[in-house]
Amino acid sequence: MTRFPLGLALLVLLSLLVYLGVLHRVLDRLRLNDRAALAVLVAMILGSFIDLPLPVAGVTATVNVGGGLVPLGLAGYLMWRAGTPLERWRGILAGAAAALVGYAVGSLLNRGLVEPGGRFQWLDALYVYPLAAGAVAYLVGRSRRAACVGAALGVILFDVFYLVWLKVSGVPGVVAIGGAGALDAVVLSAVLAVMLAEVVGEVRERLAGGPVLAGRPRKLLANLRRPEVREEEHRDGTPE
Amino acid sequence: MWLVVLLFLAGVAAWYGFRADARRTLGPPADGEAEEHTVGRCVTVVEPGGRIVDKMARVLVPGDEVITADGRHYRVEEVRGDTAVARFLGMDTRLLAWDEELAAGEIPVQAAGRTGDVAVYHTHSSESYVPSDGSAFIPFNGGIYRVGEVLAGVLRSRGVGVNHDRTPHDPHDNNAYVRSRKTAARLLKGNPAAMLDVHRDGIPDAEFYRQRVGGQEVSQVRIVVGRQNPRRDANLDFARRVMAYANRLHPGIVKGILMASGDYNQDLLPTALLLEVGTHTSTREEAERGVALFAAAIPYVLGVGPAPAERPGQPEWSRPVTDPGARQTGVWRALALLVLVGLAAGASFLVVSAGGLRQARERIRNLLRVEFREFFRPPWPRRPNRRG
Repeated sequence: MTRFPLGLALLVLLSLLVYLGVLHRVLDRLRLNDRAALAVLVAMILGSFIDLPLPVAGVTATVNVGGGLVPLGLAGYLMWRAGTPLERWRGILAGAAAALVGYAVGSLLNRGLVEPGGRFQWLDALYVYPLAAGAVAYLVGRSRRAACVGAALGVILFDVFYLVWLKVSGVPGVVAIGGAGALDAVVLSAVLAVMLAEVVGEVRERLAGGPVLAGRPRKLLANLRRPEVREEEHRDGTPE
Repeated sequence: MWLVVLLFLAGVAAWYGFRADARRTLGPPADGEAEEHTVGRCVTVVEPGGRIVDKMARVLVPGDEVITADGRHYRVEEVRGDTAVARFLGMDTRLLAWDEELAAGEIPVQAAGRTGDVAVYHTHSSESYVPSDGSAFIPFNGGIYRVGEVLAGVLRSRGVGVNHDRTPHDPHDNNAYVRSRKTAARLLKGNPAAMLDVHRDGIPDAEFYRQRVGGQEVSQVRIVVGRQNPRRDANLDFARRVMAYANRLHPGIVKGILMASGDYNQDLLPTALLLEVGTHTSTREEAERGVALFAAAIPYVLGVGPAPAERPGQPEWSRPVTDPGARQTGVWRALALLVLVGLAAGASFLVVSAGGLRQARERIRNLLRVEFREFFRPPWPRRPNRRG
């Protein structure tokens, strides 16, 4: 980038800042505090430069720390800290659905001679995974955490599919799970899926007059951390 | 529960599809494949009056745009079967301005300039040319690699460093861009001045790409810019410069610029382009000759390798894209768009999540008080206030 003139350099820098800023805010919404979110962000950026080889005979396989292991760890953490067992299932379900939809749209529908992106390419494959994961996570549980887990797992699953595909086919291919680091489809999908769940969920919730509080388990309500919930808890005499 | 069962069934179906896919994609070409590909589908872009503007193998959607080699700018408004009706938006003034400048002056002489690498890779690594390679696809080792080598060779011979990456991303599908993103990101670590993803088209009519340039029969090159890319304007700016200069050097070598729905990993670098060199029914030799002529324009436009000397009074738009003094209208527009969209999205998100304008204002007021205090809070627990 050093050789670019001011305009181009600014554009590159600003888009990176916006991306990282959004990424930080997204992590911030996922039951991580500011500092933990920043630590994950730094781990993703530094980890982008580290590729670990995977011992798979006949295929050159690597996993990137920033684009593969950190998002996988984050997904694991989010599932471990999930409010209810059902939420864990939502994440896994969204992941499997994202991988399947991504495979169906990106590999089955859009292949063959048609250039540059396939006959039915209305949307780049890069955006199919977050849409699928975000939509499934929202439909089954309206959860931004499930959307994040689903989108990251979906793309990682697809990379693993590809590894298996190469192994089954017996051809010497190259697989780099999360290989583009912080810019990989894994991270990008997770960010977009959370934003989708956030925007659609929040707008819908606001239009419906705010979150429904009655009859919800206390543990879930406590996580909302909204003043009106705290007030209600205070009136009930339950600790915050 | 039913969702899990459904997912399991979908998984089994996908696995079978996947196995069949592996066999079909990697198996030997079926008999008569070459003939079959010569009668493939082709979408024709026409003006409302019926005049043909362009042909391509993909289905276009309203909003896709085409800038032809002579500077005519079209936007697809309606798609009916294999015909896309495009409205003429006018002449592309930026392209014409570039072209006029090049016409007024001589082609500048070469002089010592900046250094910089150009990264070349192939998302669709199996793409091949039927008349020369015997098939439209050669898994993991398509004829397109040879075209990429010619491009790299010409650039190297002109003093430009080239990083030609041969990582395969098979099979030939849309997910190949998700796979090649990793390659592109790896190439990005080498700080390239530009990234070129070299493809060939898939329309059956080889004549449509065939052109006589400089006394030889060559395949034309089409430049593709992804519309679903936040830095589209910057990439388009670069594409315009490349087309204007390449067509000035070798008239007719660039067919046009297609702005199609897709990202094509062009969000990674403002000087990333996708090239379609000929089509699968062109001969590979034609494509190699075509890309060699095209490559000659890259060093000047990019300002890498031996750069042309500055001329007094040279308009800024005629300077290389990496020149600090070059005007970057597309870039500034992309920048402004980024800032505007960012601010608008942030503001609307704030209002929605805060629950109203008043609450949003309150949140902004609290920002410094709460957010920064939390961030700079020491990691150890605060001591109780002895006085209080």
